[in-house]
Amino acid sequence: MAIPGASDKLDAATFEQILEMDEDEEEREFSKSIVYDFFGQAESTFDKMDSSVKDLKTLSELGHFLKGSSATLGLTKVKDSCEKIQHYGQKKDETGTKDITEEEGLEKLKTTIEQAKTEFHDVEKVLKKFYNDEA
Amino acid sequence: MRETTASGAPLHPPPPVDSVHGHSASSLVDLPSLPPADDSTLDLFRYTPIPTILLRIVELDALPVICQVSESLEAVSGACRREQLLGRTVDAFFDDNVNLPSVASAHNAIRVALDSKRPFQLEVVLADGRTAWSIRAVPIGRHGSPQYIQMELQNTTEERHRQLQLEERLYANETYRMLVETVKDYAIFMLDPKGLVATWNAGAQVFKGYTKDEIIGKHFSNFYGDEDRANDKPGRELRDALRDGRCEDEGWRYRKDGSRFWANVVITPVYREGTLLGFSKVTRDLSERKAAESQLIDAYEEASKLKSEFLANMSHEIRTPMHGMLSALTLLLDTRLNPEQLELARVIEESGEVLLQVINDILDYSKLATGSFSISHDIISVAEIIQSVFRAHQKVCKSGLTLETNLDPHLPQAAEGDSLRYRQIMQNFMSNAMKFTESGYVRVNATLKEEDDEFYTILTEVVDTGIGLPAGAASSLFTPFTQFEMNSTKRYKGTGLGLSICKSLAELMGGNIGYHPNPEGHGSTFWFTARLKKVNQLRIADALQEKLESLSAPSVTASPFEDIKLAATNTRILLAEDNLINQKVMLKMLAGLGFANIDRAIDGREAVTLATKHPPPYDAILMDINMPMLDGVAATREIRSLGVHTPIIAMTANALKGQAESYIAKGMTAYVAKPVDRKLLIKVLLKCLRGKTESPS
Repeated sequence: MAIPGASDKLDAATFEQILEMDEDEEEREFSKSIVYDFFGQAESTFDKMDSSVKDLKTLSELGHFLKGSSATLGLTKVKDSCEKIQHYGQKKDETGTKDITEEEGLEKLKTTIEQAKTEFHDVEKVLKKFYNDEA
Repeated sequence: MRETTASGAPLHPPPPVDSVHGHSASSLVDLPSLPPADDSTLDLFRYTPIPTILLRIVELDALPVICQVSESLEAVSGACRREQLLGRTVDAFFDDNVNLPSVASAHNAIRVALDSKRPFQLEVVLADGRTAWSIRAVPIGRHGSPQYIQMELQNTTEERHRQLQLEERLYANETYRMLVETVKDYAIFMLDPKGLVATWNAGAQVFKGYTKDEIIGKHFSNFYGDEDRANDKPGRELRDALRDGRCEDEGWRYRKDGSRFWANVVITPVYREGTLLGFSKVTRDLSERKAAESQLIDAYEEASKLKSEFLANMSHEIRTPMHGMLSALTLLLDTRLNPEQLELARVIEESGEVLLQVINDILDYSKLATGSFSISHDIISVAEIIQSVFRAHQKVCKSGLTLETNLDPHLPQAAEGDSLRYRQIMQNFMSNAMKFTESGYVRVNATLKEEDDEFYTILTEVVDTGIGLPAGAASSLFTPFTQFEMNSTKRYKGTGLGLSICKSLAELMGGNIGYHPNPEGHGSTFWFTARLKKVNQLRIADALQEKLESLSAPSVTASPFEDIKLAATNTRILLAEDNLINQKVMLKMLAGLGFANIDRAIDGREAVTLATKHPPPYDAILMDINMPMLDGVAATREIRSLGVHTPIIAMTANALKGQAESYIAKGMTAYVAKPVDRKLLIKVLLKCLRGKTESPS
């Protein structure tokens, strides 16, 4: 099942595994509900991130949280950015190996959160199109 | 005629020639009142073996005249006859004979003897600088007024020569003694044959702080540190010096106040006529040189660290765009390309991958060089790692080449180590062997080399029948960048860093690495050892149990999918997952596998509560690692501590292999990486549930 325009945003194998859980390939009730749940979860998580811009620990936890679900859906780019948010929040570099300062962390978090949002909205568009919902 | 007077001081009177009159008020020898023509007196003078002239004082101011001459004088005077001399002054004798002292010196002797009224002896060296004479003038008379002078003349050339030699020797000895004693830049001293200090110089005092009195007679091991003394290094050095004739050493020596200095020491045995007198010991203080050396080393290390950091930064910077390029290339390869474009794209892909490998190597290397590389301590099975690397290479094996493994049955099932890094070394050895071997075999041997209470030492060898190494190349094999430079024109051959990275990795694992030629002929043997910590026996037992179970319970149906449906009946499962989306997907997936009874826990706390009800209600628990309240690891610890042995499967997005294995070490039964792959989940669940069907307790 190819999803048009999703090649770099989506891990096909993982997402297909979700799609296989749909009992009806036309309705796609299950996967659609999951994906839309994710949209909701992502929006609310980004909102929480926006309201805790100075709180590294919370940001890290939120990053981790969204990483889990984006990984489950195979949303590779969002997942990668969330992982970075998780690391920066722990005052580590993007691979989680070296220590960075709090200032660096906050600086990097700012841009990475924005990047995650953009990536999320990109993949959101693709998925909405896939579920024939372009509203 | 010139001459020198060696000694002009009047001497004490010699024992009187005629001892009848021992008494004398003055030092003037009294002449017995005998008639001058008395025979015995004449004979006395005539036959004395000492060349003698007797002079009579005629008038006080005039020169005395010769009245007797000994026959022995003729021997020294040459042509002069006794008879010719009688009645004349000493001038007649001394003059005109270059072999005799001058007239002046004879006059001088007479005058001093007369003036002092004491015997006077004069040492004369002739102008040739060699011939020496002794002139002795003895005034003889009564009542303090001398009437005769007895003059003795002796050739003392031989005696003087001996004396000079002796003096010279004494002088030389003294000079050396002073030289040694005053030298301050070297400690120079003698030890007796037992090693007790026998002499001491200024340098020794400056270096070691002991004064001469404090140290003479003490053993020289006082200068050594405790460890050296415990190893009997001082004694060994003396024995070495005796055996080799010399013993040189560099090391720490200690001063009286306990401070130490870096010394160069030379010990030499000293013999006289075949007998050992002792040892000379010369010590130099090399502290300054040592300090300069360590400064140089520091500077070098600093520079080398900067270099490594630079490399690490550069490779990191290069890697990011490289990844971008390679991903773009992957996409490009998926598009419609004509054969020529495809060919070119493949070349780019291949080169890109090599380049990425190079960069990764450099990154690894520079991390190792700066010491910022650590090794993880997970539970690993060496045999499994070797087999997995082996299988991977089997697939790409050239025809005509056999791959073999010899695994020691004593290899531990489990030990603490870093599987990723163990694999990296294996991988490197294997691919090198395959690259350079066209036919014959590549054989992997793994043996348990040593075992103690805490560690296993495992030796892994890769033996091939390939081209081997030219003699001399072996020494630089593990030096970084060597191959890099040699092969800079050959692409796809690697960085030349691989083996040096392996070396560092082996060392980080407490082991070693090496090369020797294949003992069965041409080809190479690369080996490394690793010291792996033992793990708790219980865990090994668990691992063995699991293995046995999987062997003894062969699958009853054709596909794992059927198996799991079978296994799922009448089971109850707990899913602990805080992310609702993940929870929903997992529930769906599990339902799809036939699991009808699934409970959910939203965090670790709830999971513990549910899992530890009595009796334990679940056949398996799927546990997310990062959860609020209580994380998966802590929850597992609590569950286990309450005596519940339900299989727990960790689910983690941090799916690094080593990390996942560490969860198992922390009490979990198995793990699956997130996003959860259904096939993998089936496999893991089957493993965990099999125990249940075997033993329904």
